Amino acid sequence: MASIILPGPRRGIQDQIARLHWPLIIMLSLIAGAGVVTLYSVGGGSWSPWAGTHALRFAISAFVMIVMGLIGIRYWMALSYPIYFVALIALALVPFIGDVNMGARRWIDVGPMQFQPSEMMKIGIVLALARYYHGLRAEQVSHILYLAPPLVMIGAPVGLVFLQPDLGTAIMIGATGAAIMVAAGLSWRLIFLGIVGAIGGAIAAFRFGVLHEYQLKRIFTFLDPDSDPLGAGYHLLQSKIGLGSGGLVGKGYMMGTQRELNFLPEMQTDFIFTIFGEEFGFVGSFGLLLLYFGVIMTGMNIALRSRSHFARLAALGICVTFGLYVLINTGMVMGLAPVVGVPLPLVSYGGTVMLTIMAGFGIVMSAHMSRDPDAGGL
Amino acid sequence: MRVNSNDPEKKEVVTRRAVLLGGGFSLLLAGVSARLFQLQVLEYEKYQRLAQENQFNTRIIAPLRGEIVDRFGETLASNRQNFRLLLMPDEAGDVDAALDRIRRFVDIPEDKHARLLREIRRTQGYAPVEIVNNLEWDDFSRINYELPHLPGAHPEVSETRNYPLGNATAFVIGYVGAVTDRDLAAPQNENQQVLLRQPGFKVGRDGLERTYEKELRGVAGAMDVKVNAHGRVIEEIDDSISPPVQGQTLGLTIDADLQLAAMKVLEGESASACVIDVETGDILVLASTPAFDPNIFTKGIPSDLWRELNESPYKPLLNKPLGGVYPPGSTFKMITAIAAQRAGVDPSFSVHCNGKFWHGNRFFHCWKKEGHGRVDMAGAIKHSCDVFFYTMGTKLDIDGIAEVATDLGLGETFELGIPGQQNGIVPSRDWKRRYYAGTPENQIWFPGETLSVAIGQGATTATPLQLAVMTARIASGKAIRPRIVRLVGGLELPQNNAPHMELSEEHLNVARLGMYKVVNEVGGTAVRSALANKDWKLAGKTGTAQVYRITDEERRRGLTKGEDLPWHRRDHALFVCFAPFDKPRYACSVVVEHGIGGAKYAGPKARDIMTAVLNKDPARMKPISAESLTTASVGRTREG
Repeated sequence: MASIILPGPRRGIQDQIARLHWPLIIMLSLIAGAGVVTLYSVGGGSWSPWAGTHALRFAISAFVMIVMGLIGIRYWMALSYPIYFVALIALALVPFIGDVNMGARRWIDVGPMQFQPSEMMKIGIVLALARYYHGLRAEQVSHILYLAPPLVMIGAPVGLVFLQPDLGTAIMIGATGAAIMVAAGLSWRLIFLGIVGAIGGAIAAFRFGVLHEYQLKRIFTFLDPDSDPLGAGYHLLQSKIGLGSGGLVGKGYMMGTQRELNFLPEMQTDFIFTIFGEEFGFVGSFGLLLLYFGVIMTGMNIALRSRSHFARLAALGICVTFGLYVLINTGMVMGLAPVVGVPLPLVSYGGTVMLTIMAGFGIVMSAHMSRDPDAGGL
Repeated sequence: MRVNSNDPEKKEVVTRRAVLLGGGFSLLLAGVSARLFQLQVLEYEKYQRLAQENQFNTRIIAPLRGEIVDRFGETLASNRQNFRLLLMPDEAGDVDAALDRIRRFVDIPEDKHARLLREIRRTQGYAPVEIVNNLEWDDFSRINYELPHLPGAHPEVSETRNYPLGNATAFVIGYVGAVTDRDLAAPQNENQQVLLRQPGFKVGRDGLERTYEKELRGVAGAMDVKVNAHGRVIEEIDDSISPPVQGQTLGLTIDADLQLAAMKVLEGESASACVIDVETGDILVLASTPAFDPNIFTKGIPSDLWRELNESPYKPLLNKPLGGVYPPGSTFKMITAIAAQRAGVDPSFSVHCNGKFWHGNRFFHCWKKEGHGRVDMAGAIKHSCDVFFYTMGTKLDIDGIAEVATDLGLGETFELGIPGQQNGIVPSRDWKRRYYAGTPENQIWFPGETLSVAIGQGATTATPLQLAVMTARIASGKAIRPRIVRLVGGLELPQNNAPHMELSEEHLNVARLGMYKVVNEVGGTAVRSALANKDWKLAGKTGTAQVYRITDEERRRGLTKGEDLPWHRRDHALFVCFAPFDKPRYACSVVVEHGIGGAKYAGPKARDIMTAVLNKDPARMKPISAESLTTASVGRTREG
């Protein structure tokens, strides 16, 4: 354990704050700011019901991130498995004590607030796998004996989330776990087998009716959206109209007609990128994508400069989760991916996701604070 | 197990894989960006157009139906906007509170308030309840403005066809009703199709409303409206409006005052009256009683009312002047007189009437049992002597009578634009051949039949309109054709100057003189129908059409008078007349179904109607011009 204890003298809190990765914080704040601005417009030019709450939630989440960043990475490593198991137990309890919302049981009441165990699991899986591979030697990673625990660690939450049913989150958790295994050095032979297995599993899911009808519908709609413009493809078509009609520079702030006329469902959550794109055009939405790119590159840079294997893999895992959010959501609203209900991180309205992501970056920040000053980044 | 976490081999692997993942992410993000570029820059115009189409819808604006006015511009059919307020109780939530809020804008009396609450309870809150109708515009617009604060309130504007004269014009104008599948199936352009599908749109179902549907309907307008995803209109684009064109106004020959007067005279009878301008053929009065109220029909006919109207023995759904056929009886005698003169009988030819006439192997009876003594042709008309006309019947060929009857307008229908005209029957050899086409043995014409036709019985039938046309043609000598629609929009229908008939003035004069004597000479059958104003002389002819032959058995029991028979077996009473005698202008026919006798029951009614006509003398007044109809809303509304 000595290896993860910070060397040198203890620094004062002001020094600590000065050492935070401020460019990362600024980029995250800009993204969340884009969310506030868009939610203000979606609310019809009003702070309520979304924009004000969103700003407040970001402030709280940013504070949580900084506090988490100030906690040494070794403590996070120690908490890895406990966090994972709490999330797993909560997930297992959802079917019994959870609330049904929009046809799926995903929420658990904790005092006055609700939280989604599946969101906590997104962090939990990253921490647990990072912790697991921290303890393996390089040659053990691809060994058959050491392959089973991570597969179970990934498979159990994926299965539980899939049963909620929440296909989007299940895919996110599965993909994040797989990405960490790949990053940890899984042999190419096993990676190839994994891809074949995933494809086979997907085909099996189709063939044996594991997927719900609405999930299938979404997938086929994504493949051929114009086939049913008033049915399942309606929202996708309306989303493309919203984005496309925004043009190069957009219709202007608060001038989006698709927004004004309520052609889009879930404007404040899943389809918020459409609203942003409609009002700010290609210039605005590409700018937002660049910010996301910046955040992920910064996060990866932090990961590669970390001194511990745990920190490296954890920070990398967080970046993968974050990147998946961005890719799936933007792909979804543009017709490149099925509509699976994945929010746009920090922009979509939603407290649990906001907290999850900022907590994730808290881990990244912690890795940054414990970095090896000599290690080179990307 | 201790592991060196800073195993450089592990670090190296992670770095390699991280570069790979980062590169993969960058590639995918580039793909997303490319897609974004495609949508927002390359395909911008396509989506821009789609967004526009999303936002705007075309809304059809129904045109106002053309009005119908009388010859002097008084409104007979118009449109009334009905502003009403409905309440959907299930949307309102607390009904009491909702009504209280509405009461701030419109007055709801206590008793009505209680009735509304009962109705809401009865419908369990799922049916809209009409709170008020016929709202003033100011109140209506204020309610619309306050609508966000009035949950469950639904203001509504509906157009109602309005017939100010009610049942008086029911048979002339007809009525409008809901669009049927048949209307939709009829070939028509898209604009009309869309119009017919507008909720609450009405089309002409009967009368002129039906015949002139095309002219009255007008052309739909359109307007772009901004709608949201739920199709709810959130903005009207005012400069996109293409205004609807109101249907054309119809100007009729009818005189509303006289029409109402005639309806009043006929009230309580199953009767019809028809007044025609003998110079022009303009129909001034076309009355039929009893009549239905078209204002009720327009809202949809209640089935119990419909059944009642259908089953009534007074036939309130029959347009009697055009669709009722009656034996003309003695009103036919002018035709026989003219036909006789044409066949060479001198008007001074006289016959001694002793009450009966032997022909073939039986007696033909005169209506006056004791006989009229010696009568000439005019005198025979005056006394309505049957024996004289039986004698004519022996001298005449049936086809000679039929020719005159046809010349005078019997057996003919006219282009009025009102459906349901009957032809009636002018008996002739040709008619009999056609009538008994299947049984040649019945086609032979018997001389005895000519005797019946000579007094207007036998197979002879005519409509009151035809009798009025006959009288008008006798009076003016002109082959006038009746019309009821003068103006369509800004266009006056051509009324060609009626040519003089082929019948000679000399022959017609004998008929006219006979009719004069009927009313104005002592002993005439209708002296009681003389006009009170001695400056005007009425010339007329009574008629009684037998409905039921009193049997010898009944006669023995002392039943001789029509009044003793049940209503449906009584004879029809007829009267035709024209006035003023010296300068004829108006002809009139009155038929009272089961009215027993023309002299006693039809004549006085015709006299009352003609008195009203002569008092007003509408033919002297200038009717409304075609130009004045091109402006919207021309109709004057009757005061009171």
